[in-house]
Amino acid sequence: MLLVAPAGALFALFFAVPLAVLAVDALGEGGTAFARVFALPTFWPSLGGSLVLTLVAATLSTAVGLAVAVHLASMSERRRTLLSFVIALPLTFSGLIVAYGFILGWGRAGFFTQIVAALGADAAVIGKALFTPTGLAFASSYYLIPRVVMALLPVLVNFDRAQLVAAESLGATRAQAFRQVLLPQIAAPVAGAACLVAAVVFGAYGTALALVGTQLRILPLQLYSLVSETGSDFPAAAALALLITAACSAMMTAGEWFGSRHERHLAN
Amino acid sequence: MDAAPAVAVALAGATYVYPGSSAGVRDIDLEIASGEMLVCIGPSGCGKTTLLRLIAGFVKPQAGSIRLGGRDVTGADARSRECGIVFQSYALFPHMTVRDNVGYALRVRGVAGGERAKRAGRMLELVGLSAYADRLPAALSGGQQQRVALARALVFEPRALLLDEPLSALDAATRVAMRDEIRRIQRERAIATLLITHDQDEALSLADRIAVMREGRLVQVDTPQAIYDAPASGFIAGFVGRANVLDATVAGADAVDTPVGRLVTRVHGREAGAKVAVLIRPERVEPVGDRETGDNLLAVAIERDRFFGATRALDARIGASRLAIETSSRAPVRRVRIARDAIQFLDPVPPSKEAT
Repeated sequence: MLLVAPAGALFALFFAVPLAVLAVDALGEGGTAFARVFALPTFWPSLGGSLVLTLVAATLSTAVGLAVAVHLASMSERRRTLLSFVIALPLTFSGLIVAYGFILGWGRAGFFTQIVAALGADAAVIGKALFTPTGLAFASSYYLIPRVVMALLPVLVNFDRAQLVAAESLGATRAQAFRQVLLPQIAAPVAGAACLVAAVVFGAYGTALALVGTQLRILPLQLYSLVSETGSDFPAAAALALLITAACSAMMTAGEWFGSRHERHLAN
Repeated sequence: MDAAPAVAVALAGATYVYPGSSAGVRDIDLEIASGEMLVCIGPSGCGKTTLLRLIAGFVKPQAGSIRLGGRDVTGADARSRECGIVFQSYALFPHMTVRDNVGYALRVRGVAGGERAKRAGRMLELVGLSAYADRLPAALSGGQQQRVALARALVFEPRALLLDEPLSALDAATRVAMRDEIRRIQRERAIATLLITHDQDEALSLADRIAVMREGRLVQVDTPQAIYDAPASGFIAGFVGRANVLDATVAGADAVDTPVGRLVTRVHGREAGAKVAVLIRPERVEPVGDRETGDNLLAVAIERDRFFGATRALDARIGASRLAIETSSRAPVRRVRIARDAIQFLDPVPPSKEAT
C-alpha cells in the first residue's frame, strides 16, 4: 500500500482532481455547456477533422509499425536492441521539433517537396497537403509508429516463428503464411496498438499547433481556441475537454480489451 | 532379382557453413531410397539439423547438389520442394482446429473445402485422431500433437518426410509408443524419411539405415546392426550404445595387450607390436563363477552397480583400468569372461592382410 501511495497521489493530483474540476465546471449550468459546444459552428467540422486524422494516422502507423516490428523480430537480439533504440528516439522529441522538421522537409519550400516538384508534381499542392488532417496524420505517424513498434515487438519476438517456416514448407507463400498464420494470432495486439495510437493522436495538439496554428479544424485545437481566446466560454471548454477525454478513454479501453483478449488466448 | 529401390533423396558433395562460423555440414554424400527410414544421429552441433534444413530448402548449399525424386532442387525454395516436415516443437497453428491444421497444405494448394476435409479426415484416421478433428491443438496431449504434425506433413503426399527430433518433447513412455507409430505410418505410406535424433535407442529401433555425423561430416552410414557391431571408429562405438574402447598392442598372432590385461583374439594379420584400438561391448563382458576356466578371464572389483530392471549396468575396476559391464544376472560379480569374438578392432585391417 505504501509503495503505491506516491503513484496514487500523482494520479489524484494530475488526473482525478483536474478531471473533477472540469466536470464541475462543465456540468455547473445544468449541462448547457455541452449544448453550446455542439452548437459551435466549428465543432462538427473539427470532429470530422479529428476522425479523419485519427483514422488515417492510426491506420498508417499501425501498418508501418507492424511491418517494422515483424522485421525487427526476425533480427538477432543485438541488432534488434540497437535498432529499437533508434526507432524509439522520436518518442523523446517534442511536438514542436517534429512539426518544424516536417515543415523543413514537406512544407511549400521543403526539401522533399522541391525534389518531388522537380519530378513534375505541384509544389503548392504538396506543401498545402501537410496542413490538412491527412497531412497532419502523416506527420503524427512519425511519433506514433515507434509506439506501435514498441507495443508489438514483444508479441512478435515471442511468436513461434517455426509456424511460419512450417507454413512455407507446406506450400504457403510468405504472404499466405503472414495472412493465414501470423496475422490471426496477433490480431488482438495489433488492434490494441491501433487503439492506443488512435487515442494518442485524437487528443494530441502540440504538433498540430506548431505545424498549422489553430487554422486546422480538429477538436484539440478547437479546445485550445476556446481556452486561449479572450472572453472565453470556460464551461464550454471544460465540456469539450471532457468529451475529448471520454473519446480517448473509450479508445484506450478498447485497446485494453484487445490486449486482455490476447493474454487470455495465451493462457489457454 | 529385385529391382534396386528408387532414390528419393540424393545429396552429392553438399556443403553449407553458417556465415561467420565454422558450424555447418561439409561434403555430404547421402542417398535415401523410396520407403527407407534413414536416421541421422550425432552429438549436439554436429550438423544433423543443418542437413535436414538443406534437404528442406531452408538453407541452400554453397557447394554440391540436392535431388528429390530425381529432380535437381539445389536452388529451389522450401515451398517448391514438397517435403513434409515435422518440427521439434511441432509448430502446429494454435488458432486452427486439428482438421484445419492437417488440411493447411491442401488449402494453400487451392483444394476445395469438401475435398480438403475428406483428405484431412483420412489422414486423421491414419494417425488415430479422427475424434479430435474439431479441437484446437492446445487441447491435445504432446503425443497427440505429434501425430497431428505427422498427419499435416503427410497429407499432400510429399516427396520425402523430414522429422526433426520429433520425439524429444515427449515423456519416456509416450516416446516409445510414438516410435512404433511413426514407423507404422512411414511404412504404410512407403515414403523416404529422414529422422534427426540424438537418441541412440530411437535410431537403432527405427532406422533402416543410420547415418552418424560428427563435426559436420558423415562418418558412417550403415544398417543399425552394422553400426552397432562394426563401428568405423571409437567415436561411433562410444556414441551408439555403451562401449569399452581400449588402446591395445598386438601381442602376437592371437592376442592383444590391453590395460585390463592380455586378451586372446584373432588379430587378422596385424603385426606384433602394432598399436590398435579395440572395442568390447558391455553386454559381451560376461560374469562367470569362481571355478570357470579358459581364456580372457578377469577378476574385477565392482565400483558402481545400477539396476534397470531387466539389466544391470556395472562399472568394474581391473587394476588401474575400468570396464563397463551389462548383465541380466542378479548375482554378485567378481570375475568376468570376454569371448574372443567380442573383441573388435576399430582400426581397419591392413588391405594386404585382409584374407589372413
